[in-house]
Amino acid sequence: MSGVAFAYSRAADVADAVARGGAPGAAFVAGGTDLLQLWKAGRATPTELIDVYGLGLDGIGVDGDELSIGATARLSDVARHPFVVDQHPLIAEAVLASASGQIRNMATVGGNLLQRTRCPYFRTAGMACNKHRPGSGCGALDGEDRHAALFGAGSSCVATHPSDLAVALVALDATVEVSGARGVRRVGLSELYRLPGERPDVDTTLAAGELITRVLVPRAASIGRLATYVKVRDRASFEFALLSVAAVIRIDAGTIVHARLVCGGVAPAPWRLPAGEALLIGQKPERGVFTVAAAAAVEGAPPLPGNSFKVELLRRALVRTLTTIATGS
Amino acid sequence: MTAPQAHSNEPTNDHDVTVGYSLSINGGTHPVQDAWIGESLLYVLRERLGLPGAKNACEQGECGSCSVVLDGTLVCSCLVLAADAVGSEIATIEGLSADGGLTDVQQAFLDAGAVQCGFCTTGLVMSVHDMLDTTPAPTDLERREAISGNLCRCTGYGRIFEAIDLVVTRRSGSPAGAS
Amino acid sequence: MSTTETIATGTDTTTGTETTTGTETTTGTETTTGTETTPADSSERTRGPRIGENAPRPDGVPKVNGEFAFGNDMWIEGMLFGRTLRSPHPYARIISIDISKALAMHGVHAVITADDVPGQKLYGLEHKDQPVFASEVVRFHGEPIAAVAADHPETARRACRAIEVEYDVHAPIVDAELSITAPPIHPDGNIFRHMFIRHGHPDSPESEGVVAVEGDYEIGMQDQAFLGPECALGIPLEDGGIELYVSTQWIHADREQTAACLGLDPEQVRMTMAGVGGAFGGREDISLQIHTALLTLHTGRPVKLQYSREESFFGHVHRHPAKMWYRHSARADGTLAKIEARLVFDGGAYASTSSAVLSNASCFAHGPYNVEHALIEGYSVRTNNPSCGAMRGFGAVQTCFAHEAQMDKLAAALGIDSIDLRLKNALKTGDRNITGQLLSGVVPVAELIERCVAHPLPAMGEVGEMMGRPGGAGRTADAHHIKRGFGFAIGWKNLMFSEGFDDYSTARVRIDEGQNGPVVTVHCACAEVGQGFVTLAQQIARTVLGLDEILLHPADTQVGSAGSTSASRQTWMSGGAVQQACEAVRTQIFASLAATHGVDPETLAIQDDHIVSVDGTFSIPVEDAVANKTFEATEVNRHVQTVRLDADGQGDAHVSFAFAAHRAVVDVDEELGLVRVIDITTTQDVGKLLNPRQALGQIEGGIAQGVGLAVMEEIIVTNGKVRNASFTDYLIPTTLDMPTVTIAALIEEPEPGAPFGAKGIGEPPTIASTAAVAAAIRNAIGRDITRVPVRPQDICL
Repeated sequence: MSGVAFAYSRAADVADAVARGGAPGAAFVAGGTDLLQLWKAGRATPTELIDVYGLGLDGIGVDGDELSIGATARLSDVARHPFVVDQHPLIAEAVLASASGQIRNMATVGGNLLQRTRCPYFRTAGMACNKHRPGSGCGALDGEDRHAALFGAGSSCVATHPSDLAVALVALDATVEVSGARGVRRVGLSELYRLPGERPDVDTTLAAGELITRVLVPRAASIGRLATYVKVRDRASFEFALLSVAAVIRIDAGTIVHARLVCGGVAPAPWRLPAGEALLIGQKPERGVFTVAAAAAVEGAPPLPGNSFKVELLRRALVRTLTTIATGS
Repeated sequence: MTAPQAHSNEPTNDHDVTVGYSLSINGGTHPVQDAWIGESLLYVLRERLGLPGAKNACEQGECGSCSVVLDGTLVCSCLVLAADAVGSEIATIEGLSADGGLTDVQQAFLDAGAVQCGFCTTGLVMSVHDMLDTTPAPTDLERREAISGNLCRCTGYGRIFEAIDLVVTRRSGSPAGAS
Repeated sequence: MSTTETIATGTDTTTGTETTTGTETTTGTETTTGTETTPADSSERTRGPRIGENAPRPDGVPKVNGEFAFGNDMWIEGMLFGRTLRSPHPYARIISIDISKALAMHGVHAVITADDVPGQKLYGLEHKDQPVFASEVVRFHGEPIAAVAADHPETARRACRAIEVEYDVHAPIVDAELSITAPPIHPDGNIFRHMFIRHGHPDSPESEGVVAVEGDYEIGMQDQAFLGPECALGIPLEDGGIELYVSTQWIHADREQTAACLGLDPEQVRMTMAGVGGAFGGREDISLQIHTALLTLHTGRPVKLQYSREESFFGHVHRHPAKMWYRHSARADGTLAKIEARLVFDGGAYASTSSAVLSNASCFAHGPYNVEHALIEGYSVRTNNPSCGAMRGFGAVQTCFAHEAQMDKLAAALGIDSIDLRLKNALKTGDRNITGQLLSGVVPVAELIERCVAHPLPAMGEVGEMMGRPGGAGRTADAHHIKRGFGFAIGWKNLMFSEGFDDYSTARVRIDEGQNGPVVTVHCACAEVGQGFVTLAQQIARTVLGLDEILLHPADTQVGSAGSTSASRQTWMSGGAVQQACEAVRTQIFASLAATHGVDPETLAIQDDHIVSVDGTFSIPVEDAVANKTFEATEVNRHVQTVRLDADGQGDAHVSFAFAAHRAVVDVDEELGLVRVIDITTTQDVGKLLNPRQALGQIEGGIAQGVGLAVMEEIIVTNGKVRNASFTDYLIPTTLDMPTVTIAALIEEPEPGAPFGAKGIGEPPTIASTAAVAAAIRNAIGRDITRVPVRPQDICL
């Protein structure tokens, strides 16, 4: 245990949470698995924690043409929910590839999407990190960079987003519903995240006090069921991704008509590879096609000395993921 | 049971908030006084309530040694704010056995030689109970994945798998488990 | 149960005073026989398991139900919480330390620095070169600067943050090779040890064979990663001394070093072993003992200091990273002509056991093989990296990885099967090693190799199960890309301390009349760190004395030293001491019978639970023979004297040797560079199995650490800074990573001079398992692997 002092209270309802969540130093907490780690490490310094776990935002169901997953639904519940397993097993795959049983029992969907990077320079007290304190420098740029980003990084920050679930959800064109002072809005999950630029300390486009209330995913009928999640990592279980790929394709009359290629562990956000997607459309689901698309997808990725191997590894993982989907193995 | 109320805000620069609340643990009510709001459930169990059975090996949710059951769900108590556990039913290793003896999992750990230094043991016992409650006869890979949130450094897990086998066999009532 | 009552109970358990009933289950080391699992009626005593049986651990029940008191569980009324301030820089001059703000904080009782060390300012296990607190120079990331005692752990933490230290930061020396010639970073210089072993005539032309292979090998820095972080509780004594409860490997060495720094006589420092959550070498050096004692004496209050996981990574030594150049040369028939090696071990900032680790690495550098000529040059070097010292395998792990890779390479170059090559050169009893020492004990190298490789291979397994493939729960591997590989390795090392070290253990054994008959109390300071000495001590006492009720006194400094729980030495050394003390008591019992029954004590023996005469005319239950009497004996067990290696690395430096072979089966996803270790089949030279189930646990656990080093474990240090001081980032194998372990054979050939003929078994499983996994990966992918841990990019790119 450690960290700065804070006040703690349970939000009465979403309106209460949103009303108080915008105050300087306020932070929402649900499962707490990421926030408390950061707080113990001295890298999150909330002055007020507003607990939203008990707000009943944990429902999972079907809402019109969409699968609706509440923001405080626990990962373990998501992974085994019949709607999820039926509509989008990709989500369950990504979740089950994450963390451990205990952590999945605690962590929530919203918290998972908003978790901070695992970059050791961000996580460790006393290390230079622009994401922790803009202007303090980036230790990873000339230090340990094996886990650093291939895409979307800048000179201020090369940290990656660690979520498995977010990668799958972006591949499924998910949107998030957000409550804030100005009411409820929906934002595409891809647009939820922002690149470091000059403000690497800000991970998302959420305004102060805005609270994710649920995630909405188009039903399988509209985007297809051919999907899988492949995660490359240094340990068989309970380990973040070195890199990962979620791919979704829909095939009509033997031709790919819809494709999403999204990778994790290689960018500040779940990273779509549109060049690769474009080369799949209109093609037959064959290894040769996948190889061409994968090569195009990773082209131009600017690696650092210690993570250049990830470019080729990602290319291979893309081919692997697509082949796995196409062959159903 | 009510949510914790801040009652004594010490006039320091750090704005420390201490609180009093009660936790429901192993069927009993445990009052906690003057606790700092940042204390984890693990800390309060160990340092304030004299329940040190949950262990503090990493305090970052990485090892499972602090596993307890919160409202029926296995969690790492190091990542639960104690104040947030108010209103929940908490089950710890100390309350595992109804009669004060050993549970079948605990007995199997002893019989199989699954205990060495013992630091991970209580967390693993909690975890194995939780797994077998939901999956009475897990396959080899299912059990390996299910308890992969519990790190052990002494045993290489071999005797722990053996202990799980013993429990599964004994619970199924097959004669092989009678020994 | 009220809080107060609960805490009061906790106090009892932690002070652990003597043998009152209340403390029995909770102190863990202090319980009676294994009868907890099957409680026996007092009138119907259970026969306790003897040597060779699967005795249950006496601390098993409290460990499964949570009542066992580890160091971290200690609690005493009014105690303060300690905390250490550590350097964020690997190398810097300290310009100033300002503790005034911290000291002024509400709830802070003490802030201490080097100025507050009343005795010696330096300490160290072999060589006193490490400051209790850095005062002028910091030499590694995480070096202690100051310590705080406060009323709450959080207060202590904040106080540490309030201490202002001004540094003049220097560029750290982080390359061991460069450090050899770099300006000294310590008054004692940068070289802990530079040694040669010259065997045969390595400089002569005849030493050269017809085929030679060369290789550079590298091993990363491994952490012991024991689960229970370091902890100590200090209690001030009225006489100005201190009582210290600490989770450690060697309380007497701790006491000696602590007392010297406190400026006290060793007798004024009373130490008791607190429950230890694993060690593996990482608790052999001082970590928080002196700091806790200083805070205790400074405040006059009990102080508990415990490390977080992050601090634990900074607070103890690690396994030495090493760079090793090797050249093997062989005759056409495969006879090893010459082995040359140059070993550079990075010892980090302070000496710890770097000298002994290097000696071990060098002595076993050739592997368990005969070789005509050898020239080994070894360096252990000071750098601004974290200090390295003891870890399971102690130098032999590093060189085994290299020499076994070389043997495979040499076999390929010769066109000989690599197993045949090993068998051809295998050491056997009566051979001499490269230090010229005669191997007079059990050396079953050929048998270990043959029985290991003869064991049937595991089946291919269910390819349909995704989680069972490389990549595990990442659902990564495609069955079409999996290649299976097989690798073999054999390693060896010494048992007990070497090179002239005065190595001994002490045990006191006493028989008293208890409530339900005689009770044997065994008092030995041997650290129980999980290995199961407590079980063996009971088994030994039962076997020698024929009595069942064996009580283990807490390990403390009220009895002589037992030495360290390391070097696979405690079964031999402390087991031997217990055996000898029991035998001394047995002699007293026989003498007592001679007086009362007129029997010749020379004719008496204990068979099971009776004392009988050889002619069968006299028989009495041991229980009756000792009824209402007290016997006591204290014995010191020393092994044969060894010598320090001479300038050519020659001499009888070691007492005994142990060997283990491993065959690894791995599945490799060659495209994505993922490995899954499927099976490790092993054979080991154990002398005698004293407790088969415990032995199995030691072997499986040791292999797990070897597998971890092969495929995932490494402390990442960049420019002197540790980057992964957590269990999220320092990976140890999970249940899903661990292969099946198959015991092909445990060779029970009694070792001369060893109690019951038993060899230590803790370290050998860790030595060659890493090398075997690396060999299997090479075999699967057909390319060289020269560094562990192996990462995806090493395999597929």
